Amino acid sequence: MQFGNPEKQQAEFLHAAMHQAGISTGDLWLRYFSLGGSASEYETDAYVQGIFRLPEVQRDLLAQAANELIDELPPPPRAPYSEDFLPGGARDPLQSDRRNYPPA
Amino acid sequence: MSSQLPLDELSLVFARLKGLLLTEEKVDRAVQLLAEAAKDAIPGTSGAGVSLLNDQGRRTSRGATDAIVEQADVVQYELGEGPCLTAWASDETVVVEDVASDGRWPLWSQAVASLPVRSVVSTPLRTETGSLGALKIYAAVPSVYDAGTGLLLEKFAMPAATLLANIQGRETPQRISEALIAALAGRDSINRACGVLMERENLGAEEAMQELLRLARTQKSPLHQLSADLVQAASAGGKPGPG
Repeated sequence: MQFGNPEKQQAEFLHAAMHQAGISTGDLWLRYFSLGGSASEYETDAYVQGIFRLPEVQRDLLAQAANELIDELPPPPRAPYSEDFLPGGARDPLQSDRRNYPPA
Repeated sequence: MSSQLPLDELSLVFARLKGLLLTEEKVDRAVQLLAEAAKDAIPGTSGAGVSLLNDQGRRTSRGATDAIVEQADVVQYELGEGPCLTAWASDETVVVEDVASDGRWPLWSQAVASLPVRSVVSTPLRTETGSLGALKIYAAVPSVYDAGTGLLLEKFAMPAATLLANIQGRETPQRISEALIAALAGRDSINRACGVLMERENLGAEEAMQELLRLARTQKSPLHQLSADLVQAASAGGKPGPG
């Protein structure tokens, strides 16, 4: 890994995290704005693209906003066990409405 | 707090900034182009028009290829009856063989008797949440259109309605208002928490924000939650909060 300008890296890794989590710049900016951020959506987008500089506290507020959005994402689905498919189990095929029963 | 803010206006400004709403001029332009395309596409048509209606059946936007269409339309909305209002209200395509002999809208038929408007097809601009308005075509002579023309116009109206619904979703301003209220309330709460830290730790505004961010990280707590806790602890007796 290249060790370049840490400011730029902070933006790059923010971009990568957003991409991985499927967070749009608009969503990020709205959360950042609600956390007291002062950069515009346009400036935020330029920063994420690595073509605009923001002060440290604004960069950290964007990181906080992104991490809060990431923490709110639903966890990836878990694999079911054999017993989940038994009658009354979480994935009993006879249960027509697939309510999310906790595994027995 | 929220009720004192001019939220309707703020919401619109905010929505435009976020690119969620187009300006009225852009909607009018889209509607105008739709009317022109309908006229060009359907043989025998002398004029076409589009009306967007609100929940009460009042017109909010319009486009027409010529003054005759516009005139026939204005009368319709003044009288509160006519093929477009019927198409919009019943959610069904209306085909009129001859305006002069059709008895469904006596006042309107009488009012447009002097205009070159004899054949009409009007179809609702349907969306999932209801009808946005109507798209209609007129011809100067009777019996130009049949049920097949109705089906053709419906095909035309469907994608147009979907696009128009995205330009002007009825629930958009409401949704924006809620997001805006939440965002402004969030900023308030964080500013108050920064004030508490500035007072307590003798910090500048920027240092207070940095301290707040540091606390959120070490306590693994969302910034809004942390801020609310800090403000509550401060107002409960000025005791040092967590930290």
